[in-house]
Amino acid sequence: MILFRTLERRIAVVFVGLLVVVMLLMLLIVARSGEAIIATESERQLSAGARNVGNLIDRDRRQLELAASVLSGDFSFREAIATQDRATVLSVLRNHGSRIGARVMMVLSLRGEVIVDTQRPGKPPRPFPFGDLLRAAENNGRSGDVALMEDGLLYEIVVVPILAPMRTAWVVMGFPVEDAWASEFARGSGLDVSVVATGGIRASSLSPTLRGALERQQSTALSEQPRQLTLEGRNYHAVALPFGPQARVLLLHSLEHSEAVFRELEHALEIVAGAGIALFVIGSFGLARRIAGPVNALARAAQRIEAGDYSQAVAVTAPDEIGQLAAGFENMRSGIASREHKIMRLAYEDTLTGLPNRTRLTEHLAGLDPEAAAMVAVLDLDRFAPINDALGHPVGDRVLQQVGTRLADLMPPRGKLARLWGDEFAFVIEDADELSARDFAAQLLAALREPIELDGQKLDVSGSLGIAFRPGDGRDMDALLRRAELAMYSAKRRQCGYALAGEVGDGPPPEQLSMIGEMRQALDRREFVLYYQPKLAFASNRIVGAEALLRWQHPERGLVPPGLFIPFAEQTGFIREITPWLLGEVAAQATAWRERGISVVLSANLSARDLLNPKLVTLMRELLAAHELPPAALCLEITESALMEDPTLALSHLAELAAIGLKLSIDDYGAGQASLSYVKSLPVHELKIDQSFIGSLATSPKDAAIVRSTITLGHALGLTVVAEGIEGEADLHWLAAAGCDIGQGYFIARPMAAAAFADWLSVREGVPAV
Amino acid sequence: MADRAGHQTGRLTLRLILTALVLALACAADAASVTVRVRTPAGTTVEDAAVVLDPASGVPPKSRRSATIEQRGRDFVPYLSIVQKGTAIDFPNRDPFKHHVYSFSPAKVFEIKLYAGKPANPVVFDQTGVVALGCNIHDWMEAYVLVVDTPWFAKTGADGVVRIDRVPAGAYRLRLWHPRQKAAVADIGIELRGATRHLDLVLDVAPRIIVAKPPLDAGGY
Repeated sequence: MILFRTLERRIAVVFVGLLVVVMLLMLLIVARSGEAIIATESERQLSAGARNVGNLIDRDRRQLELAASVLSGDFSFREAIATQDRATVLSVLRNHGSRIGARVMMVLSLRGEVIVDTQRPGKPPRPFPFGDLLRAAENNGRSGDVALMEDGLLYEIVVVPILAPMRTAWVVMGFPVEDAWASEFARGSGLDVSVVATGGIRASSLSPTLRGALERQQSTALSEQPRQLTLEGRNYHAVALPFGPQARVLLLHSLEHSEAVFRELEHALEIVAGAGIALFVIGSFGLARRIAGPVNALARAAQRIEAGDYSQAVAVTAPDEIGQLAAGFENMRSGIASREHKIMRLAYEDTLTGLPNRTRLTEHLAGLDPEAAAMVAVLDLDRFAPINDALGHPVGDRVLQQVGTRLADLMPPRGKLARLWGDEFAFVIEDADELSARDFAAQLLAALREPIELDGQKLDVSGSLGIAFRPGDGRDMDALLRRAELAMYSAKRRQCGYALAGEVGDGPPPEQLSMIGEMRQALDRREFVLYYQPKLAFASNRIVGAEALLRWQHPERGLVPPGLFIPFAEQTGFIREITPWLLGEVAAQATAWRERGISVVLSANLSARDLLNPKLVTLMRELLAAHELPPAALCLEITESALMEDPTLALSHLAELAAIGLKLSIDDYGAGQASLSYVKSLPVHELKIDQSFIGSLATSPKDAAIVRSTITLGHALGLTVVAEGIEGEADLHWLAAAGCDIGQGYFIARPMAAAAFADWLSVREGVPAV
Repeated sequence: MADRAGHQTGRLTLRLILTALVLALACAADAASVTVRVRTPAGTTVEDAAVVLDPASGVPPKSRRSATIEQRGRDFVPYLSIVQKGTAIDFPNRDPFKHHVYSFSPAKVFEIKLYAGKPANPVVFDQTGVVALGCNIHDWMEAYVLVVDTPWFAKTGADGVVRIDRVPAGAYRLRLWHPRQKAAVADIGIELRGATRHLDLVLDVAPRIIVAKPPLDAGGY
């Protein structure tokens, strides 16, 4: 019900409803008792009036009888009657009748014959039609009653004797019962008097209209028990009195007067009730409003809080229960507000720098017009890991904070900066084209090169920037960030400061994207396996080591060649997930073989990312400790290009790895631009000549010369020189003759699964070396 | 009043005796007496019942006599008078105020207008029949005169008994009448032969309605 939807209405409706019910009951009771009182009073008045009328009629009849008796006692009257002279008698009757208002005058013989009749003069004698009346007169001396006479009219008839002095005749006198008669009794009794005889109203004090109405209802009205009837819309109480054998007197008492009194009372009560209800409506709504108002205010506050608006404080108005509730609400609101603020900060803010995080940046970009041009840039600090490692994380954190502040100061008004993770920042600038992007990138990198002062110490910081444009390089944040990140890596590799995504290509094609998923599955399903390719020491003709090579045993595609997925894994960074697994496997394998007396140094390949990963050193330490391996049992092979990505950081990491005692090897030497002076500075133990040189030893004297001088140079630097890709016996002999320390290649052995390797080794070790 | 009535009756009886003596001298022998006791069907005695003996044949002798009906104490005294046709009745007024005696009876219509003392002329009742007497100014006053054509009649006393003596032997019609009789009774034929004849007769009579007289000192009369 709408009526009860609000507390205010519910309170008011209940109060007012109760009052209305009470008032209605009161009015009902008053109306009921009023009706009862009216009925009782009216009946009382009616019965009193009826007694009165009965008495009046009796008295009237006695008076008529008396008058008749007086008349009949008149001497001259008696004398005239005694003379039996009909003409005289007739005129005497008429004369004397008129004296007392009798319309009918008759003389009866003692035998009951009408001798003279003023209404029918000259008619022969006939029997008197009212024998009962005559007999009553004979018994009582005289009689009187009401009867219809031959003229159809109702008469009060009186029969009295003519005494001379004994009874000699009877005189009958008739007095018409007419409206005047009824009106006289009505005046005397205060009731309306009507006389009904043989189905018609003979006389009445009523107006013609009411008389007509009564005529129609006389059957109900003619009861000797009082009853109520309505004439022309007015209420009456009616009672009938017997009036002679043929007639009845019908008495009506109008309820109008009594009803009017009660109607006035009822009106007064209705006014009082109406006024009371009106006052109550105002009062209850006022009260309800005072109760419900604060509650409604609380409800609105709750709705605001529900809608996420915590800004408006809940007003505490009164010290009552609702006030307490409001205070509770206010505490709740401020609690929720501060918690939500905290959550928002956690969700959208980088706690270290106070900058927005990646999520916030993504939302910011999503909130921009998707068609509008924007640039998304990713900035990665160069050589941050060594700072972190050398100076500790607190310093690293402060560096990041300062960089963040510096970048934030550089942001144009329509730019948004965020810290993605680690030392990687990103920002979005609206309406940026390539030109302005280049300008801004240059400006930013220049600003970044300003040394950072920490506790009086100056630190050089630089970064690499990758820039992608919307919509040219993608529309959503993920795509744009990836493109920008790829560009950033490219810039870092090339040490050119910044790169645009459009210049470095699209990154991996879609089938490669699906490959990332497959690789992740492969890792989980242990589809990756390690094959081991033996390393032969020329001097001793013994297998001194083995290189662990990653193979992918795909359930559908079979063995996936490493060249098909490893570069991709390196490019996408997935290698970061594979390497820890690979290192763990290698360490476990080394341990297993050592326990079986197979003591070969196992080499694992590290990508640039692996090498730059600040956690690598820790990981290696943990692995050695976990397997209780001597560090020299493992060798990490790093390509020349991986070193060149971030030479400084690479050097720092290599130094640490070397400090642990691990063997380090420069892989694919000669393919990159690494200078010997740079190699000289590296704490490595081994130099692996790129296999492209080995494959063409027999055909290219230049390559053979390079190999020969590399071996010489390596030895000069105190490094073990390894040749890989040895596919023929001639090459093997050539290399052994050239002083190369270790060889590796198909001619010696293909890479083998661990078990096969162990078998192969046990067979070979029994065979004398070449 | 009863004494006076008795005295009145006594004088009448004396006259009758004188008449009887005359008759006895004339017709030597056997005269008879008749006694009649009149009762109502309920057995109560009936006073003022007239017993009249009409001779079956012959002309009854006439006795010239007079009678008096007084008005005394606002009543007629006696209530019933039986007279032979031709009797003159005096209506002396013994009250200190006037009376107005009238009769509308066909046997004798007369009126003695307001008078005091003794009216100048007595009223002669010369027709047989019943004459009802009233007083115009005292409605309750009533008296009856039974006018008969025979000398042999009498009315019952308070004991309801009437005695008629010296009735010559012969055939008679005995007539019984009362002013308030409810129905007329048929005459009875009887033969009288010297002895005393006794009859018990029944007559239904309405009780006399004694109307209370207004007090004399109330004034207005």
